[in-house]
Amino acid sequence: MSLIILTDGLRLGLIYAIMALGIFISFRILNIPDLTVDGSFTLGMAVFAVFAMDGRPFLGLLLAPLAGLAAGCVTGLLLTKLKVQPILAGILTMTGLYSINLLVMKESPNISLFNSGTVFSLAETILPGFLKPYVNFLFPALVLAALTLLLLLFLRTQLGMSLRATGDNEAMVRASSISADRMKILGLALANALVSFSGAMMAQYQEFADISFGIGMVVVGLASIIIGEAFLGRRSIVCNVLAAILGSVLYQIVISLVFSTGLNTLFMKLLSAVILTVALAVPLVKDAVKKGKSGRAAVKRGEPNDA
Amino acid sequence: MLELQNGTVVFLPGTVNERVALNNVSFTLKDGDFVTVIGSNGAGKSTLLNAVSGAYPLTSGRVLLDGKDITRLPEHKRARYIGRLFQDPLKGTAPNMTIEENLGLAYGRGRRRGLSAGVKKADRELFRELLKDLDLGLEDRMKTKVGLLSGGQRQALTLLMATIVTPSLLLLDEHTAALDPKTSRQIMSLTDRIVKEHEITTLMVTHNIQNALEYGNKTLVLSQGRLILTLEGSERDHMTVEALMRLYSANAADALSDRMIL
Repeated sequence: MSLIILTDGLRLGLIYAIMALGIFISFRILNIPDLTVDGSFTLGMAVFAVFAMDGRPFLGLLLAPLAGLAAGCVTGLLLTKLKVQPILAGILTMTGLYSINLLVMKESPNISLFNSGTVFSLAETILPGFLKPYVNFLFPALVLAALTLLLLLFLRTQLGMSLRATGDNEAMVRASSISADRMKILGLALANALVSFSGAMMAQYQEFADISFGIGMVVVGLASIIIGEAFLGRRSIVCNVLAAILGSVLYQIVISLVFSTGLNTLFMKLLSAVILTVALAVPLVKDAVKKGKSGRAAVKRGEPNDA
Repeated sequence: MLELQNGTVVFLPGTVNERVALNNVSFTLKDGDFVTVIGSNGAGKSTLLNAVSGAYPLTSGRVLLDGKDITRLPEHKRARYIGRLFQDPLKGTAPNMTIEENLGLAYGRGRRRGLSAGVKKADRELFRELLKDLDLGLEDRMKTKVGLLSGGQRQALTLLMATIVTPSLLLLDEHTAALDPKTSRQIMSLTDRIVKEHEITTLMVTHNIQNALEYGNKTLVLSQGRLILTLEGSERDHMTVEALMRLYSANAADALSDRMIL
């Protein structure tokens, strides 16, 4: 029983990890909390679902990230050309995307894919026999590994380094003849392409798309990143990327465990908000405890007669 | 060659807080000139550099670099030709990136940023040699995050980054003012060496009159946004700090602050 919960959490974690990579780009590399995510995740689901219904799931997987790319560009343009505050720029795109997503889904709030051929079933036909039962795990794992590798390679290129420096020190970037505006647009576009792709994979895995599925996704992604960093730290770029993946898997396993106890799933969003709050609070509490301890120790040292 | 023609910068024009930070300033830097700029607080020294670098737009007037009109070019495009150091040593480098990555970014100045490796193998050798020249032991710490370096080390690195692709113009905005006296002297002599070695046209703002007279071949004196004195040739060679102070008070409405004597 618990093994099923564990593998289920792992599978979900691998798919959400793609989104976490995207949020890592906007939140950690560019230092921009990008709320576009809630809309672009659903956008990926929606685009995938309509193509999957037509029996072309692979085309859907290809076009979903392109749609996310466009959404990220919109947020980037609002942020740089119109100087809208980062949070507000994301909210504007996210809000607009709600209508667009409904439009993509042909005005139906959810699409079922139960009878459509899935990418998984197609991937299954390629796999050798003994691996076939693991297709639901292997396919997302391979996709994630490939994307992670590509992202890590990209971050070492001139363009990738320019992107990283933009979040690190904008004045230095401009002084190095790099357009900080262009880097922000590029980063947000890439981030949301990954998020949309993750949405498409999720639609495939769950075999449905839902207009409200993306609500709170940014919270899930941020929590994953912060949880991962609690285990791996933030020593290097490789470490940070792996932390996002690890955090995502851990997060989903915890969620699966919690709801396996029979807790009403309506608490899902509340739980994700609480988890992120705790993850944000832990370093502060740790610090306070450390200070408190050393403070008390100093007091003790000052009172030799004590104890 | 840098030419500023009737450069004027007005902050908050048309309001009660209107302030003319730079008032009709014109000068020319010939190729290889090392020009120092002094003036009291609010004289317009930093505004002058910001107007040349493109951080602030000129309200009126023109900036010409090597004969090209760059008045309307945004800051990052001018940066292809202009290297710049700020007073704050933290401003010139990306703290969460390594020394070699920072140098790699600077080495790509003026080129299109594509998908080629950020730090190539051959570049790494060059970076090591250049870092060795700084004599700060940084050549053995190329994978260290820049945020872990001291202010002086970061400013030395920034200097290297600003000149690694020889710029048409180097702007130094009190780049040693935030450092302790010993480090400040080190960075200043390093600056002088690099500028002379590559014959870089340089414009240096400083609070230190001694430095202003000691380094470079020409000195501009600003007061309340106006260029009130230009020192060069034998007049400059024989100028002392005291004589310059007297000359200043005879020409300017305000006095040079005491801390400039130091």
